[in-house]
Amino acid sequence: MALRRFGGGGPRRDPFARRLLFLTVGMLAGFLVLLGQLWYLQVLEGARLRDLSERNRIRVRPAAAPRGILFDRNGLALVDNRPAFTLSLIPREMDNRDAVLARLSVLLRIPLGELQESLARVPPDSFMPVRMRRGLTMEEVAKVEEWKLELPGVVVEVEPQRVYPSPRLGAHLLGYVREASEEQVRQGRHRRGDMAGQSGLERLLDEYLHGRDGGEEIEVDATGRPVRVVRRQEPRPGAHVVTTLDRRIQEVVERAMGNHPGAVVVLDARSGDILALSSSPAFELDYFTGPLGREAWLRLVRDPQAPLLNRAIQSQYAPGSVFKIVVAAAALQEATITPFDRLRCAPTFQLGRRTFKNWDDTDWGELDLYHAMVRSCNTYFYQLGLKVGLEPIALYARAFGLGTPTGIALAGEKAGLVPAPRSRSRAGDTVNVSIGQGPLLVTPLQVARMMGAVATGGILWKPRLVQRVEAADGRPLYSEPSQMNGYVDLSPAVWAFLQRSLWGVVNDGGTGAAARLPGLDVAGKTGTAQLITNSDARRGQDHAWFAGYAPAQDPQVVVVVLVERGGRGGQAAAPIARQILQGIFLERVAAAALGG
Amino acid sequence: MMFKVDRRLLQNVDWLLLATALALVALSLVTLWSLSPGRHGSGVVWRQLSWLGLGLLALVAVAGVDYRTLARMSPAFYVAGLALLLSLYVFGRTVSGARRWLPLGPVTLQPAELFKLIFIVTLAWALTARWANPRARATLAAALGLLVVPFVLVVRQPDLGTALVLLPVFFALLFGAGVRLRELGWLGLVGLAGTPLAWLMLRDYQRERLLVFLDPFRDPLGSAYNVIQSKIAIGSGQLLGKGIAGATQSRLAFLPERHTDFIFAVFAEMWGFVGALLLLVVYAFLILRGFEIAGAAREPLGRLLALGVTALLGAQTLINMGMVMGLLPIVGIPLPLMSYGGSSLVVTLMALGLLLSVRMRQSL
Repeated sequence: MALRRFGGGGPRRDPFARRLLFLTVGMLAGFLVLLGQLWYLQVLEGARLRDLSERNRIRVRPAAAPRGILFDRNGLALVDNRPAFTLSLIPREMDNRDAVLARLSVLLRIPLGELQESLARVPPDSFMPVRMRRGLTMEEVAKVEEWKLELPGVVVEVEPQRVYPSPRLGAHLLGYVREASEEQVRQGRHRRGDMAGQSGLERLLDEYLHGRDGGEEIEVDATGRPVRVVRRQEPRPGAHVVTTLDRRIQEVVERAMGNHPGAVVVLDARSGDILALSSSPAFELDYFTGPLGREAWLRLVRDPQAPLLNRAIQSQYAPGSVFKIVVAAAALQEATITPFDRLRCAPTFQLGRRTFKNWDDTDWGELDLYHAMVRSCNTYFYQLGLKVGLEPIALYARAFGLGTPTGIALAGEKAGLVPAPRSRSRAGDTVNVSIGQGPLLVTPLQVARMMGAVATGGILWKPRLVQRVEAADGRPLYSEPSQMNGYVDLSPAVWAFLQRSLWGVVNDGGTGAAARLPGLDVAGKTGTAQLITNSDARRGQDHAWFAGYAPAQDPQVVVVVLVERGGRGGQAAAPIARQILQGIFLERVAAAALGG
Repeated sequence: MMFKVDRRLLQNVDWLLLATALALVALSLVTLWSLSPGRHGSGVVWRQLSWLGLGLLALVAVAGVDYRTLARMSPAFYVAGLALLLSLYVFGRTVSGARRWLPLGPVTLQPAELFKLIFIVTLAWALTARWANPRARATLAAALGLLVVPFVLVVRQPDLGTALVLLPVFFALLFGAGVRLRELGWLGLVGLAGTPLAWLMLRDYQRERLLVFLDPFRDPLGSAYNVIQSKIAIGSGQLLGKGIAGATQSRLAFLPERHTDFIFAVFAEMWGFVGALLLLVVYAFLILRGFEIAGAAREPLGRLLALGVTALLGAQTLINMGMVMGLLPIVGIPLPLMSYGGSSLVVTLMALGLLLSVRMRQSL
């Protein structure tokens, strides 16, 4: 019976054969379905899944190039780098962007909008990490690491970050470094999130300092453990810059200026090298490195003290009595007067119906040019100015480099103001200009360059800030020699007179006596620049100047001090100059003090 | 009886079937080795090779014994098999939450694997025994009884995959035995009705896997991770594959269970559509050959044994590939002859031995 049931015969007769055929066909159909799915996955979807598998295994780990280091003339670092933690997002690895951003926002207390905004500007499949926040604390790093699995596409990178020996040292000169602005990114020199020099030398030399970022493509396994480095590009560190600055002198200068708003320039008289350049109040350089909110930024920009302004090159002041050097030079060179001629130094000077005052009420009688310089007698110079005339004075002012930029490599230098040579001169203007007031504006750096000409007998140096730039491996990339970009052609006798009278201002009972130092011959000129007519210097309404050089016989450095609203130059600026010179020539002054 | 080998038996050995099976094992060894070349990888290969040796011995032993003798002894095997399954509750070794392995000296045995074979022989015997009538309800009830007890035991291990594989084998045997379609339909309905009960029996992770199959992105890093990574591995092989060195999905361990259940994904990543197609053809050939042997057999028991063994191999192959490709839920069924694992390889070779045995004795 059983045999009959399963028995032979063709498939048509044999139910088993028929059922077997059915099963066979069913099985084959199953294989066909598998084949179809295989075709779908490997051929139709293959490219996309291949892409996913690449994404599975490749992680990009960028490596920022350390910025080049700025050195002073003696090889001391002015800025350096230290490793800092940066939070970055890799858009391509963020599967659920909104959830990740929300989690991150809560975790690190970063406004969600800020996160979304910075991601909105990059394509969503970008492999390149977008830097979100720099200068993470260890605590924040620990939080991110702890939540790593919940935060796909969030990475913490270690990047070199600027570190400053002291937060304000040479702030205006060095300049601050901050993430490249939209504008800079658009210009194409920077990638988004790059650090870029935004002012001072950091900006000027950014191309050299920046270096080139490197990175690694790392193959990782399913647990994110690196297996091997697929491709690696070493970051190329930025080039090192040797500046002309002397960190010690810069420190001395900033200590001497303290909290006074103003500017100081110290030039090497023999080369035009800028040894120190300071503007106060200064800002803190590392203020800009980390996250800086809009509020903080506005506070800084709107500060009435304008800490971002580099007063040494960007602020223009009336030169005050410092300008008497130009008037005297013009008068002597044009032979309007000789050193032996005398003019009255009365408390007031009458021009038509207008009365011009001296700065004190004493009648000094008749003075020669030397004593008029030493005493800085205004009424004397009113008369002398009128004798010389406005046009020659303006001409000599230009010869001394006033009214044109000095050519320093920093951005934003102001040209100052000198009356046009053929302007219709009115006597009142001439009187004012002859004591450095009226339509006359100079920057502290211009005054320093002018004093350099007096000290050297005519050389106008192009102020030099950068000596050379060297690649990280020592290869020279750029070097800049000392250059003069002007010459004041006066007779040696005139230079000798000017130098002698500037010595007298400090050492012969003159207005600059406060700058006098034992063991060091200081020459210089004080100035008090009125902000308003007939202002009262004693009430602190005037800018105080002292411009000088030392040693008088063999000039090495030029020092210019400007104290805003400091009052009289001899009282406010000269002591600061003295302190600076004492710092520079410490050994000489100390030897004199000890030797008696 | 094993030793007086009939010359006619040797003449009828299906060498092609044996060669096909061995070719698949060879592919498996190459794939296992390529997953992690070096000392660690070769350890896996050597172990699998020794299982192969053992499996071949078992194959020869099974083929050498007349399957009719085996069938007569099947009730004893069945009881012993149930005892083994029950013994897991006492001696079983727990690996990742499942008590599937029985430690036997230096090796471990998966009783459920062995039981699949016992189940085929017992059911074939029960359907063709002198007292049996596949058209009678009593025989059907007995068959159902033979299925349900081990099914529940295996599901509770838990080993859903192995338990589920019993179902197509069960239906194929009943179908082949000539059970009326209407009765089969009723059985199917009863099975469906039992689904809610089965759902209650499942462990949480098993339920999760089934839910994930319905919605793969339910938990992309958790339960669905496997199938997503597996699809990525297969798809990224594209037409020609990435070769051994380029198979990053597999070699970098993105692919889970890549030595065992997901070995097909490894193969597909390395050799692409062309390679996977060839592998499918080889498996299809093996199964067609099995059906051919079933069709060529002259008496019911041989037919059903060949049919059952072929149904088992075919079901395992289809379900494994289907789940690896994301067509079926991940239930943990090895790919016969390819997946790493001693019990599976030895039992598969024994099943083939049974097939060879039927073929050798078809003309006796």
